[in-house]
Amino acid sequence: MIDTPPLRFEDLALDRQRVDEFGLGGRTPAIAVAPHDTRALIALQQRANEAGLGVVVFGGATLQSIGNAPTRYDLAISLARLTRVLDYEPRDLTIAVEAGITLATLAGRLAEHGQFVPLDAPRAATATVGGTLAAGWRGPRRTTYGTARDFVIGTEAILADGTHAHAGGMVVKNVTGYDVGKLYLGSLGTLGTLVRVNFKCLPLPPVRRIAIAPLADEHRDRALAHLASLAIEPTCALLMRGFDAATPDVKSDDPRLVVLFEGSDAVVERATRDLRSALGAAGVASTTIVDRNPEHAFARVLDAYTDTLVGRSITFRSTGLPSTVLERFERVDRLARDFVLRLDAIVDLRSGDLTLRFLAPKKNAFTQIAATLASDLRTILDPCTILAGDPAARSGIDAWGTEPASIGTMRSLKTRFDERATLAPGRFVGGI
Amino acid sequence: MPELAARLLAALGPEAVRSAPEDLAAYAYDAYSEDGMPLAAVIPRDARETAIAVRIARECGEPVVPRGAGTGLCGGAIPARGGLVISFARMNRILELDVRNRRARVQPGLINLDLSRAIARHGIFYAPDPSSQKISTIGGNVGTNAGGPHCLSYGTTTNHVLAIEYVDDAGEVHTTSIDDVGYDLTGALVGSEGTLGVITAVDVRLMKLPEAVRVCVAAFPDVESASEAVSAIIGAGIVPTALEIMDKLIVSAVEAHYHAGYPTDSGAVLLVEVAGAVDDMDANEAAIAKIAKSHGAVSWRAARDAAERDALWASRKGAAGAMGRIAPNYYIQDACVPRTKLPQVMNAIDAISAEYQIPVGNVFHAGDGNLHPLLIFDRRDKRQVGAVVEAGTAILKTCVEMGGTISGEHGIGYEKRETLSMVFSTDDLATMGRVRDVFDPARLFNPDKIFPSGAVCGEVAQPPSAA
Repeated sequence: MIDTPPLRFEDLALDRQRVDEFGLGGRTPAIAVAPHDTRALIALQQRANEAGLGVVVFGGATLQSIGNAPTRYDLAISLARLTRVLDYEPRDLTIAVEAGITLATLAGRLAEHGQFVPLDAPRAATATVGGTLAAGWRGPRRTTYGTARDFVIGTEAILADGTHAHAGGMVVKNVTGYDVGKLYLGSLGTLGTLVRVNFKCLPLPPVRRIAIAPLADEHRDRALAHLASLAIEPTCALLMRGFDAATPDVKSDDPRLVVLFEGSDAVVERATRDLRSALGAAGVASTTIVDRNPEHAFARVLDAYTDTLVGRSITFRSTGLPSTVLERFERVDRLARDFVLRLDAIVDLRSGDLTLRFLAPKKNAFTQIAATLASDLRTILDPCTILAGDPAARSGIDAWGTEPASIGTMRSLKTRFDERATLAPGRFVGGI
Repeated sequence: MPELAARLLAALGPEAVRSAPEDLAAYAYDAYSEDGMPLAAVIPRDARETAIAVRIARECGEPVVPRGAGTGLCGGAIPARGGLVISFARMNRILELDVRNRRARVQPGLINLDLSRAIARHGIFYAPDPSSQKISTIGGNVGTNAGGPHCLSYGTTTNHVLAIEYVDDAGEVHTTSIDDVGYDLTGALVGSEGTLGVITAVDVRLMKLPEAVRVCVAAFPDVESASEAVSAIIGAGIVPTALEIMDKLIVSAVEAHYHAGYPTDSGAVLLVEVAGAVDDMDANEAAIAKIAKSHGAVSWRAARDAAERDALWASRKGAAGAMGRIAPNYYIQDACVPRTKLPQVMNAIDAISAEYQIPVGNVFHAGDGNLHPLLIFDRRDKRQVGAVVEAGTAILKTCVEMGGTISGEHGIGYEKRETLSMVFSTDDLATMGRVRDVFDPARLFNPDKIFPSGAVCGEVAQPPSAA
């Protein structure tokens, strides 16, 4: 890293930021700035690109723990000043926002008109739209509503060389040119910086209800079989072990089944009745209904995904078929016991996603075993990426694991979009 | 015999290769008005044969055009520069069905409706349902990111594609999945109209059939009031599974052909479908009917049973075909606008129709703001042929001015490539060109499609060396 990179920016509309707020994997940039507008961002990126700097763009940094530490890190760009709602006609059920807007602000604005965009990421008050999308976040309601790739209808991105590239538009059906917007989603900012995102919105369901039931091991399989056969499917169904703060209404040593129903009053009532009798028939004694502020209850569940114990935890994510999710979880559970680590887990019964938090009994216990743990885990799970964890605990583990078969095409894309590897160098899979 | 055909014959045998002019004529056109003769056609049985064909074409420096059922309306399957057409007529099977996980792996030549029919007994279906679904293929649907009436609540093809197996420009077979770590190559391939690779298998998402379905028909004095009603329904936060409008001209043609029971004496009809839990049906219908009536609906009727429902849908989906009864020729446009702009855009289309003296019928996915004006003309009349093209362009221009776009679900193909720059800047197109550089640097996959030919955008359409 160079101490004073050759970057001139005094003429640009931006704020200097404290560099120590932009640390990544133990590294801090030489400069950190927050441009006031897209024009300043374009100029900044162009100049950084010409100067051969390594740049990492920040939203709320809630998911920056995804990905490797940058191999070059001279400049941090915060999008904290790009927070406007650019276009919102509620009757069109579409909204256009700047990428630095927080999920909570977006949700609040949409809720005024009875609408929502189910991004479902942790720490909505801090997380930004751009960061959540770049991180490729996939929330627990994705089987019902889809992920960002299903409701982003238009994008504007600034490529490394300053090219301002539009894709998609403000309409809900569109086959006009390539769907380039999808390439930025989950790219960790390595292809371009999202500055504007257009979403298709959904009407908020009139009623939301969370049901939580402790599931003792002896009831589990039967209860889950009954759950899977419900006529009205929950929009989210999780089995949570550990993460006690996520469900303060239910205290239990057993894993908790967390089910969300959304819809009309009549449908949610029927769904709850059916759920109670299905679980009751499986021997589950009590089901707690959370009707009071279900939005907050759901947000607590989302926050659990990236909840980290400083120096003591590493969280991995994996996906696979819903039908194999319990089996995969159990195999990982055996592995955790072999390593004498506690394993907290969020088992997504509908999507097949696994979120696995390994906890060491004391600080720094991971230093010896982290690399072996990751490689053993990756013989069981593919894909298997790091979601969160202390930089010290995870140092030496690649965040992405096995390279995908199409890594060659991905590398070519990176080169064609960002020839000098200016944006988030080394953060992505395969060293991209 | 050209080198291409000779080498293909040697590698794949006469079963899989066509090279006689009378055979090739079948691969020269699609549902667009122009055509182009290929040098050869291959009808592969699997990905391996597809890959061999692509490799040989590449070695001969010939372009490759993938072809489903040839129902595309924009010339996407036309071999504009000759070369090789790969038809998927023989790759039309469901390879795997996983009911529990609601997914299927299918070959690209599988007919869209055949998939839903084959799996219905498991209580699941494949949601994208373009009106051509009785003949169009999944591979073609993926190529154009096809829509259909039910996209309103279920989304378009891209929302239902989980993984793609494709042959790249070097003739190698790859698989990409939305669950892969890394860039969303699957998302980039969907809607790329055969310009990035040749798709040989698709993993699709299947959905649970709704517990209850209700289809209703409302009659309106004119298209504008029906459009206002649609805007109001969406604006009220109700998203039915389908909201379709047909104007009087279309309804008359449809009724003459199908006798499904649409009211023929009104200016427009609105077809509404709600689906979901049985508990919601009455309330949803009542809410929508109330909005329709407050926007001028003169009648409202719910289909009594599944047979009536199916008849209403069959005739809606056959609307374009039924126009053959009353129009010597028609040119169907596809554009999309923000939903609140519907009434305005319908007025504008009326004005364009009057200005160019071209009658226009309207049948469209109103809930999505996706328009399909049918411009009626007589091919034998030179004035009309010229006017219909100009009127079509004028409609697209109007839609773009209203914040819309030039294709909602049919694609750009050959037809609209020169109008793409109405929507995108040179930088936008060049960015798309970067994607193409990665997949198809020599521009051998479906050349002369999507991107403008003009000098400004040459770098997108042409190989970099020729730019």
